[in-house]
Amino acid sequence: MPIFQDNRELVRRLNWLRISFVLVFVCLFAQLWSLTVLDFDYYQNLAERNRVRILPQIAPRGLIHDREGRVLVDNVYGFNLLLFRDEMSDLDATLQFLMDGLDITEEVLRERLKAAGSYSIYQPVVLKENLSMEETAYLLARQSEHPEVEILTQPRRIYRYGSLAAHVAGYVGEISPAQLQEPEFRQYKAGDIVGQFGVERTYNQTLTGRDGRRRVQVDSRGRILHDLEQIDPIRGEDLTLTLDLDLQATAENLLGEDTGAVIAFDARNGEILVMASRPAFDPNQFAIRISRKEWDQLLENPDHPLQNRTVQNAFSPGSTFKIIMALAGLERGIIDAETTVTCKGSVDLYGHRFHCWKEEGHGEVTLLEAIQHSCNTYFYLLGQKLGLQEIAHFSRQLGLGVPVGIDLLGEASGLVPSEEWKRQARGEPWYPGETISLAIGQGPILVTPIQLARAVGIIATGRSPRLHLLKGDSQQGSTAGRELLSPVFAPENLQTIRDAMWSVVNEGGTGQAARLANYQVAGKTGTAQIISLSTREQLSESELESLEDNAWFVGFAPRDDPEIVVAVIVQRGGSGGSSAAPLAREIFRLYHAKYKNRGPAGVEVASQANQEKKL
Amino acid sequence: MRGWERGILTQFDYALFLGALILALLGALGIYNASPDSGDYSFFLRHLLWISVGVGVCLFVMSLDYHFLADHAFLFYASSTVLLIGILFFGTEINGSRSWLTFGGLSFQPSELAKLTVILLLAQYLGQLNENYLEGRHFLILASITLFPMILITIQGDLGTALMFLPILMGMVVVAGVKKQLLAGVLVVSLCVAPVSWFFLQDYQKQRILVTFDPGLDPQGIGYQSRQSQIAIGSGGLFGKGLGQGLQSQLGFVPEIHTDFIFAILAEEIGFVGSILILMLYLFILMRLIHIAETARDRVGILISTGVASLIFFHVAINVGMTLGIVPPIGIPLPLLSYGGSATVTVFAALGLALNVYQRRFVYF
Repeated sequence: MPIFQDNRELVRRLNWLRISFVLVFVCLFAQLWSLTVLDFDYYQNLAERNRVRILPQIAPRGLIHDREGRVLVDNVYGFNLLLFRDEMSDLDATLQFLMDGLDITEEVLRERLKAAGSYSIYQPVVLKENLSMEETAYLLARQSEHPEVEILTQPRRIYRYGSLAAHVAGYVGEISPAQLQEPEFRQYKAGDIVGQFGVERTYNQTLTGRDGRRRVQVDSRGRILHDLEQIDPIRGEDLTLTLDLDLQATAENLLGEDTGAVIAFDARNGEILVMASRPAFDPNQFAIRISRKEWDQLLENPDHPLQNRTVQNAFSPGSTFKIIMALAGLERGIIDAETTVTCKGSVDLYGHRFHCWKEEGHGEVTLLEAIQHSCNTYFYLLGQKLGLQEIAHFSRQLGLGVPVGIDLLGEASGLVPSEEWKRQARGEPWYPGETISLAIGQGPILVTPIQLARAVGIIATGRSPRLHLLKGDSQQGSTAGRELLSPVFAPENLQTIRDAMWSVVNEGGTGQAARLANYQVAGKTGTAQIISLSTREQLSESELESLEDNAWFVGFAPRDDPEIVVAVIVQRGGSGGSSAAPLAREIFRLYHAKYKNRGPAGVEVASQANQEKKL
Repeated sequence: MRGWERGILTQFDYALFLGALILALLGALGIYNASPDSGDYSFFLRHLLWISVGVGVCLFVMSLDYHFLADHAFLFYASSTVLLIGILFFGTEINGSRSWLTFGGLSFQPSELAKLTVILLLAQYLGQLNENYLEGRHFLILASITLFPMILITIQGDLGTALMFLPILMGMVVVAGVKKQLLAGVLVVSLCVAPVSWFFLQDYQKQRILVTFDPGLDPQGIGYQSRQSQIAIGSGGLFGKGLGQGLQSQLGFVPEIHTDFIFAILAEEIGFVGSILILMLYLFILMRLIHIAETARDRVGILISTGVASLIFFHVAINVGMTLGIVPPIGIPLPLLSYGGSATVTVFAALGLALNVYQRRFVYF
């Protein structure tokens, strides 16, 4: 490096740099001034015209089929009216404009807007679904005056058969503020339509598609100038249910105006074939946003049409409980098939007289006859010997007292009593007399139809496949009730009960009305008192008329290698033998007619059957 | 290390440093507003992190005597060249150019680092010439120092960044001394070469140049970007639309708002007055850098500061010119304001070099 540097020349040249820097910056200032001040009006006008609209492209939900591929739940596209609030200048003028040409009240419009208060301002609000042709024409003709509204075709749910299988299909609705807080609904935003009930709710994630969007540039009159971005919506995944719509429709038609429930499942793999609950509702009411009035009507209906009685309501099992008692007695060696009891119409225990339903008594009865004729006395005495703990133990072994883990939300647990439960719930000790009532399925024991059906299934096959509604879903799933999936009972004990249940239907027992000539049905009736006997004695004839008992029939068929399990409850239906059994019979009959040549998966096995004939 | 002990407080150019810091924080504000989704502050937070890294690097570069750095300039230059070559084989492609090295989650652009090592080597070479005017043979060496990394960066597909080396060289050469005849010759040759080079440009590059002079040519394509940027800035008016209110930018009309077009969103939201303040801050920084060059103790110091000033000046002029629609759209960041780790750290390191020269401006302490 040189010892001395004369850098004055270089320093002088730095001034050129300084000058050119300043000159260039002056140019930048000038251009900035020209854009922001001189041409401000021009650019502001352009910016006004530069509006982006994000048109939501709602993804249709997946379809729901029955086991034979018939579409139960579908989508249809309708014209919806959307309001872009960020482009609205005068709310009252907009509302007036809409009320003038649309079949809608200001009250509804304001309710909708209020509900959308939590949306982002750029997210359009759906003000009316399914516009009529007249309404569409009215809006289109005046769109240039009201650029804040837009008509968009959007999918909505249609339940093809109305209320058929409504409790299984469920319904959809706008996501609630509470749901938005839940982790399950993390990827949803306010205004999204989600499953709220039934399989729509359970399999909401699967059914939900991926929404697309179209980003367009619009001018100040709302006219689309060009597309900026287009993301197509993707439909959700389809579901195939295990339901058979033919059987389902039969069950629902037979229930008719009665209040009650029918459940049927394939004894071999746990596929639910029928899940009927009456009264029902029409889920299409929810597909177009349900009004408060309609909603209140459904909620205030004393028959609770929104409840799925097969899983959400627990009932007294009545005499159907006797088969569970019988199994407990056999398993504990207290009775065997030959044990007899003499029924004199009543029996005195713990200082109280317990009546059999047959005043003159059944005489000397074996276990088979006691089940066949539903003799109370036999089970009073059995109950006394078993005691509360054993009764409760076997009830639990057969799956009572816990949800069965069906793929629907809100399943009831029912109730299996214990001394501790009594102390906690009632503040009283368990009285020995209560065990006697319990032995015939009265008193504090409650079962859901699906629980009782599963118990019958265990007796029929000795196995307990997981009950489910989604086809091909017998392995995975809910863990509720898992511990009782492998009940172990002596096969000969189960056979004894099956024989007795067969005689109930086929040998002049209480369930004769379920008999079929070509299909060996076995079952048990039950008549559960809705009120206690002591209350009953205080009522007049006419009052009793209106308080008829709940009628049960539970059964399976055929007697050997059972294929189908059915449980029917008709509320206020009188005796099980007269109202529930004939209904079950129709299910058995139709099932047999339809499936006699098919295996459990519904596959034709006719060729196999033919071969057997040849042999 | 002379000077550090005494100079850190007394000889520190607070004004320059604070000016840069204020600009960087204004950039963070712009990035906060430009975040693609409201509620997603990851760009903002990462930018703050990069600013702190940049400040650290700045102070570190300042602490090493620039003579030491200049003496080892060739080593630094060679290292950055190796990185540029390595990137051709191991680089990550982002936005169409293969100019990124990725370690873990961090991406780094060696082309940014190369700007610094080229400045340092040019200053070192020019500094040892004890002449007031450069000869033709000097140009040969200067050109090869500059062209080599430029070619490598062009191969990576980042022509914009590569071109930025030329004005830096030009700024330093002007100060180092060019005979008027030679300067005139270069100008004449450039004017002749420009029309010829037109035929070597890619179609999209021609498009970009054309639309700068007539934005109406292609309102939706290439011209769209700079046109939307002008609409955003113009509609901001004298005082702007207010922070977070820049709908043109927020609604996605203006592309790349947190990187190359950050000036557009700031101008839309803070208007003419605010934008002028930003530009004044840049001009102030540039004037400080020239002042540092003037008071530098030796030729190397003068040329380092000149290089740093040129680097910042040309980036600002071209980027702001582009958003204002008077320069063809070239993808280069606005120093200190744009989001981007490598660029931010590089600018702070460059300022560290200048602060270094300022600190050691007296021969005897």
